[in-house]
Amino acid sequence: MQARPIRIADLVSPRIAAAHILDQDDEEAEAPVTENDQQPPADLPAPTPPWIRADGQAKATGQARYTADLAFPGLAHARLLLAGRAHARIVSLDTTRARSLPGVLAILTQDDVPEHRYGSFGYVLDRTLFARDVVRFEGEVVAAVAALTPEQAAAGVAAIEVEYEDLPPILDVEAALRPGSPLVHPAIDTYGHDPNLEPAGNLAGRSTIVKGDAAAAIAAAPIVVRERYVADMAHPVPIEPHAVTADWSGDRVTVFSSTQVPFAARSRTAEVLEIPEHRVRVVVSHLGGGFGGKCDFHFEGHVAALARAARRPVRLVLTRHEEFIAPDKVTHGMVVDVETGLDADGTILARKARILLDCGAYASDTPVLGQIAAMMIAGPYRIPAVDIEALSIYTNRTPSGSVRAPTGPQACWAVEQHHDVLAARVGLDPVAFRRLNLVHDGDEGPTRQRHEGDGAHQTLEAAVDRIQQGEPLGPGESIGIAAGWWFSAPGPSGAFVRIESDGSGRIVTGAQENGTGAVMALPILAAEELGMRPEDFAITYQDTDTGPYDGGSSGSQTTFNNGRAVIEAAREVKRQLLELAAVALEANVADLELRDGHAGVVGSPDRRVSIAELATTAHGGALLLARGSGMPPDAPEHDASACVGRLGFESFAAPTFFCHAVRIRLDPATGIVRTTKVITATDVGRVLNAPGALGQMTGGVVMALGNATLEGTVFGADGLQRNASLLDYKLLTTADAPEIEAIFIENPASNGGPRGSKGVGEPPIVPTAAAIANAITAATGVRVRRLPMTPERVWRAITTGDDGAAEANAPFGPSETALAELAGAGTGRR
Amino acid sequence: MTDRFIAPTTIEDALAILARDKAARPVAGGTDLVVASRQGRKPLPESIVAIHRIAELGQHAVNDGSLVVGALTSHAWLAGSAEVRRHWTALADAAAIVGSPATRATGTIGGNLMNASPAAETTAPLVVLGANVMLRAIGRGSRIVPVANLAVGPGRTSAAADELLTTVIVPLPPAASGSAYIRLEYRRAMEIAIVGAAVLVTLAADSSIASARIALTAVGPTIVRAPDAEAVLAGGAADPATFRAAGAAAAATARPIDDVRASADYRGAMLAVVVTRTIAAAVARARGDAIPIPASRWAHGQEA
Repeated sequence: MQARPIRIADLVSPRIAAAHILDQDDEEAEAPVTENDQQPPADLPAPTPPWIRADGQAKATGQARYTADLAFPGLAHARLLLAGRAHARIVSLDTTRARSLPGVLAILTQDDVPEHRYGSFGYVLDRTLFARDVVRFEGEVVAAVAALTPEQAAAGVAAIEVEYEDLPPILDVEAALRPGSPLVHPAIDTYGHDPNLEPAGNLAGRSTIVKGDAAAAIAAAPIVVRERYVADMAHPVPIEPHAVTADWSGDRVTVFSSTQVPFAARSRTAEVLEIPEHRVRVVVSHLGGGFGGKCDFHFEGHVAALARAARRPVRLVLTRHEEFIAPDKVTHGMVVDVETGLDADGTILARKARILLDCGAYASDTPVLGQIAAMMIAGPYRIPAVDIEALSIYTNRTPSGSVRAPTGPQACWAVEQHHDVLAARVGLDPVAFRRLNLVHDGDEGPTRQRHEGDGAHQTLEAAVDRIQQGEPLGPGESIGIAAGWWFSAPGPSGAFVRIESDGSGRIVTGAQENGTGAVMALPILAAEELGMRPEDFAITYQDTDTGPYDGGSSGSQTTFNNGRAVIEAAREVKRQLLELAAVALEANVADLELRDGHAGVVGSPDRRVSIAELATTAHGGALLLARGSGMPPDAPEHDASACVGRLGFESFAAPTFFCHAVRIRLDPATGIVRTTKVITATDVGRVLNAPGALGQMTGGVVMALGNATLEGTVFGADGLQRNASLLDYKLLTTADAPEIEAIFIENPASNGGPRGSKGVGEPPIVPTAAAIANAITAATGVRVRRLPMTPERVWRAITTGDDGAAEANAPFGPSETALAELAGAGTGRR
Repeated sequence: MTDRFIAPTTIEDALAILARDKAARPVAGGTDLVVASRQGRKPLPESIVAIHRIAELGQHAVNDGSLVVGALTSHAWLAGSAEVRRHWTALADAAAIVGSPATRATGTIGGNLMNASPAAETTAPLVVLGANVMLRAIGRGSRIVPVANLAVGPGRTSAAADELLTTVIVPLPPAASGSAYIRLEYRRAMEIAIVGAAVLVTLAADSSIASARIALTAVGPTIVRAPDAEAVLAGGAADPATFRAAGAAAAATARPIDDVRASADYRGAMLAVVVTRTIAAAVARARGDAIPIPASRWAHGQEA
């Protein structure tokens, strides 16, 4: 497979660089522009292709209607009663006074809904819609009120009388594993669960990635390095808070929801209310961002139940404070103990690691994310023996789950710093170490999958080469790099393509557009197949009644799966068009092509007929209509026989390889890091939509920068979030955005998405924090082993040598012992 | 719940409402009032006197060298005015970094002062520049209060309930002076000072420091002066060692708090760094060197 590097930077990054310069001019009238060596071009280049996404105009002009904007006759308003404490028994719960307040239409608690336990993907069924007897985190829903006005709903919530008996919050993941620890779920042995998991005590799940005998290899290795890295919890912070409106008509309910996964929301709503799925419709209006925070069943069930009880449409919109504490999708806090055996020349011989994931009060989808974390700690490196375990541990914090590239940024930040430490240990520079150890085409992965293409090396070289161009480093300036990989997620997905009577096209899909443009770009794929223009296609999407199933905007899967479905459907429509054209032109189908809105004989420009004309003909007969539901590609061949807790990610399908190189200016007196330049190099298989891919890179990098140095949730000893507001949970703004360049490498995947493409939504956020961490060490000589690497933490590392990882390295052994004691017998190995 | 809202067009009308309606509170841009209410920290007043239509409050002029600005003067205007940038540079440094461009277009100097936040950006510069405010009330005419005496605690001022802040008067600093304001900021927009310092220095004929005024942001219930640090500078050489000694003196007497944004340790250490750098910026400007506005951006990586 030939690699074809594309420098999108030449085409589009001048616009980004120019935008950066313009921003500086506004704010600093007298400041010389020194951070950017590119001059803004006189005329900004036109985007390629010249195409505006279908939802672009509405969103940019403020005309787009989001879930909270939708109007309904007789709409009532919902408010949730949240626990407000991390761990407590509910002694009594009395809604009598609240029910008597003016305007209150309905109040629900767990007594008013079916007693039904559920859990994401069926991993651990540990959750009920409302709290039953116990609250396990501050955002747990105790009751819900519907009233005529939002103020009356708030008054209703305030009037609900709850007596709590506080219990000590369980907040330390290591302590939670020790025998005798108080339990977040005392009745865990009675919960249903996935057969690949064995939840017990405070352990929701355990997964391992094992190849060969790592312990023996490490024991025999000339050099062994062991380190601990600790990452704090973080939040996805979409600009639109969760919003749900439920509207019943007879025994059917339509739920307008800000969800990334309409079909999952539908199934779960039907499940918890014990009604058939076909009586539930989930529709997403426009989504104001998700980043994984809206990637599950959230409040659809609560609101649907309230609307049924109130006999009116009911709307719930979370406040920003509630948005921080109530949804069960935050980025995991994590403790990583990693140990690598090295040869004297720097070749990696073996890796052993233990990852503790804080899954919070409910397992959510954390168990499978543990597998992903383990694969990330192995990384795209040649490691003959691997033994990595990931433990998903219950605490009384906000439940964690699949936020954009779940576990990726934290794991990459830990292991890529570890790789720089290893490099220094054998006297290699970070680039040389990676040249020695990154996988090549044909090398074996951590579960023996065969790697395809040389993307790991190509992206390393491209990023390193580019970051070294430009001005020499000044005082306080340094460069850091980090490499990594991420998967694409094969899954079922369907789409219809139709050509209307006037020759225009329509794509009908159940896919969800969370802002990435993945759904908006589907017309490009259909247009390429049919010789039409993308703007000739309208899209019906994110409505479970109209479109076929799709997994939702998660796991970088939309283009990967739904794109293939659209292409399949378009190819069938092409076949139908060519058959009609063969009759119209009295030619053989084999001699015909679709181009510029026409079907024509190849090589004879006068012998053609327009698609519009063919459509008119078809409209009186067989119609032009087709379906696609591309069979998901198989997982690559691999050997996971020694792995436990197998939930599907014991291999990475069509992995994307990447390397980020960053340039920072660190102020040692304050610990403040300004990132001035980020070069991303990513092997995406095939670039389908250049502006879209660049958008994912720049947005992902900015999100990663926030996670790297600014964000991080602070918990009090009482288990409550201390910075649950946008003033104190600090996101990066454009004022701090660096110059970003994106380089794309194309090694089309044999078992990939459309045209060999690979997932592009999540990779951009994975390695940036790691690259910044390595740059910090290059600038200061000290290493920060706590994420986020806030100014205070960097300052503390410089002035006292405290790296922030708090505790000394813990041995790996006790986790096995603790597991055995919890399980009651043996090692619990399946 | 707010059930009374009036938007008068003259100062007299506004004063009359404040005098007769005990619950009436003035609002200009609303950038503090509305945000605090949305967050549930402070409900909107029962009675609102919106002063944004009072043209006289939006005027600004330089009279006999003093800068005279109405209460409605926006941060954006202060940050962009050539006169303010040249002669009252610390004030421009501060106004340029309040919130975001949207905040600066809407927020006013009068509102900033009356909100009396210990972390307000513009207050410390006004203190070192010796600024005064004019307060007016019906039947009592007007009185002049130094900015340093206006705030008495977080969110509380010495103004009476029926008084309206109408004008801010900032005298022209002496010749051979320079001023600067620097805050420690984790990000460059939508930020609030972790710690901040404003400095006005005047150089003597031999280039030593004739006098200095230093005021500190976010290390006390109100903006405070730093007399020990000022004493280190007065009569001293205008060199980095002196600046550092003054910074250390300022940190030695401060009692910063521990909060979610920073530990007391870090705040204290950063106070010394910020004061040192602010003095260096003010001295450079006194010498005629150009330090870009806002000085907080320039400060990153400077000698500490």
